Amino acid sequence: MPKEYEALVAALKLTGTPVAEYAWKTRPEGAYYVVQLDMEGGSLNADDAKQDRSWEGSLDLFYTKLTDRDDLVEEAEEILTEIFGSSWYLNSTQYEHATGMFHAEWVFEALDGPEPDPPDPPTEEQDDGVPDES
Amino acid sequence: MAFQMKVDGMTEISELLSRMEERAPAVAAQALYDGAHIMAEEIRKEAQFIRTEPFRYVHDGATRLPSPEEKAIVTAAGAGIAKFDKNGTEVDTSVGYRASGYAELNGKQKPVPLIVNAINSGTSFMKKQPFIRKAAKNGGPRAMTAMKAKIEEAFTAMTKEK
Repeated sequence: MPKEYEALVAALKLTGTPVAEYAWKTRPEGAYYVVQLDMEGGSLNADDAKQDRSWEGSLDLFYTKLTDRDDLVEEAEEILTEIFGSSWYLNSTQYEHATGMFHAEWVFEALDGPEPDPPDPPTEEQDDGVPDES
Repeated sequence: MAFQMKVDGMTEISELLSRMEERAPAVAAQALYDGAHIMAEEIRKEAQFIRTEPFRYVHDGATRLPSPEEKAIVTAAGAGIAKFDKNGTEVDTSVGYRASGYAELNGKQKPVPLIVNAINSGTSFMKKQPFIRKAAKNGGPRAMTAMKAKIEEAFTAMTKEK
């Protein structure tokens, strides 16, 4: 799983709104998220290898205006901006007559991200040939 | 020191340019048709891969996959190309499912785009399968190449005309 996708799932879980990856077996009452990876995004290929792997995924928010908070959409977009920068867009907003739910759908590109720099090896004290004063 | 310079063939170039200007909308429309055709084919191909399960009414907040009947409607309708919108040298079209298309499902007439949208975007009771976005991603670069090749071919043929 790409690191940015894992960060998104973790950040969504902190909001208190229920989150499911791919699908709900039994969806909860009120607002909820569905997040999933759909296909490969614009990976960076060079030197006959995938230098930076990118995945395209989508985030779906279902909510009703009667019982849920008003700022759910803004909250989701703030999280997306925080994690993906500008590499996301609002794909569609819809309304379901049967359930009275609103549905917002975002598409994002999740990178695996560069490997963190290894910690500096401990430097050995260099012997400069001068004897210690002690 | 004064000198003279002479360039031959400017008349031909200016004739060619005016000819290009005249025919550009027609060439653009031909190229666009080729590109749109590839996109429509790609959507039809991706629609073949929609996963299904036998129809059931879902209760208690469960999600389901589309039924084979729903998939049959989507594959039978097929993505098409809209009427070209020409405005000067601009040509526009869109590829997708006809807004006026209806099909019978469980004894009721249902709009085809509504079923397509439910499968493509998902609903609170149906799992999403974004096949149109997948088709756009796969077919986009191929359509661009085909359109570019068509335009180049048309203009190369034009330069050889006398």
